[in-house]
Amino acid sequence: MYDLIIVGGGPGGVAAGIYAARKQIKTLLITDSFGGQSLVSADVSNWIGTKSISGYDLAKNLEEHLRAQSGTIEIIDNDLVESVKKIGDGFSVSTKKGQTYATRFLLIASGSRRKKIGVPGEKEFEGKGVYYCSICDAPLFGGKTVAVIGGGNAGLEAVIDLLPYASKIYVIVRSDALKGDPVTQEKIKVHPNVEIIYNALTQEILGNPPAGGLVTSLKYLDTTSNQNKDLKLDGVFVEVGAVPNSDFVKDIVKLNERGEIIADPRTQVTSDPGIWAIGDATDVLYKQNNISAGDAIKALLNIYEQLNKRK
Amino acid sequence: MQSVKIYSTPTCVYCRMAKEFFKKNNVAYEDYNVAEDLKAREEMMNKSHQLGVPVIDVNGEIVVGFDRDHLAKLLGVK
Repeated sequence: MYDLIIVGGGPGGVAAGIYAARKQIKTLLITDSFGGQSLVSADVSNWIGTKSISGYDLAKNLEEHLRAQSGTIEIIDNDLVESVKKIGDGFSVSTKKGQTYATRFLLIASGSRRKKIGVPGEKEFEGKGVYYCSICDAPLFGGKTVAVIGGGNAGLEAVIDLLPYASKIYVIVRSDALKGDPVTQEKIKVHPNVEIIYNALTQEILGNPPAGGLVTSLKYLDTTSNQNKDLKLDGVFVEVGAVPNSDFVKDIVKLNERGEIIADPRTQVTSDPGIWAIGDATDVLYKQNNISAGDAIKALLNIYEQLNKRK
Repeated sequence: MQSVKIYSTPTCVYCRMAKEFFKKNNVAYEDYNVAEDLKAREEMMNKSHQLGVPVIDVNGEIVVGFDRDHLAKLLGVK
């Protein structure tokens, strides 16, 4: 039986893992990959202490820092937690690969995943003109016309990823303003290849049928004029926000209406006194790498105190 | 002799992870940059019926994306 299982390998999970090892807590960290959602960022410029780093290198650094800890922490890096059950004085954690682990305490740092827009054509054309990893697939759109759906930071980053390649980039924004960092907004607003379409709700993604056919256009509703409009294009990059990864504990801790785990901001403890949660899976007001790391350490120190009380 | 081909773009993180996985397991592979090599891009589309990277061809078996467990099985490595 472990004293602690940490779920997740993003900045939060890794920060908690490092502190847990230094406190010599018998810990298991389970993740399917390191780095969290920043893995696919071309450039992270706000990770404190580092002027600029790619998401890929940030993930590598996090993994290396964690693996440099010796002793009491075990790491599983190719599995995913699927369910958690209460057992006696602790919890039983089951994974996708069919493994089960017992622990006294649990720290959830499972983050969030990309939201889909949920319009006709999105699923049919995934990988055939509809993409969720701009840094991966942007180079396939040299000289082509694309749209980025979403005006938050992720959307603006996708535009930046596409700028060296695409000849025309539409940014489709639901409201009448961009939401991403002003620094990035300024960069894309002045670029001649970028056209921002405000008050636009994506209705459908269209393309050539049968198998292997690619995207040819996108239909959106202009909410100002209440008219449907068509854009001829070759690719659509979807960046419309995130959904918390909290399904696997939804029956044992309290979630808010958005499915985020409710955590006490002082200690990060949830509605169950044996479960802590941090980062994008929670109702934390701001979803940030630095905040996840800090909140994870706060949670870990509180877990350490609770373990000592029980001894 | 195994034939392993990866169709990739220079910026794609999952492509990098796949290539690192090959190196770690001493798997020789051919790398095609489909951002520039249009012939390879067409080959990739014909094999995978889609346009997205990475696509990995292990002895004719096509894997879309970096699926570590699936690749390990196909390559007979851990």
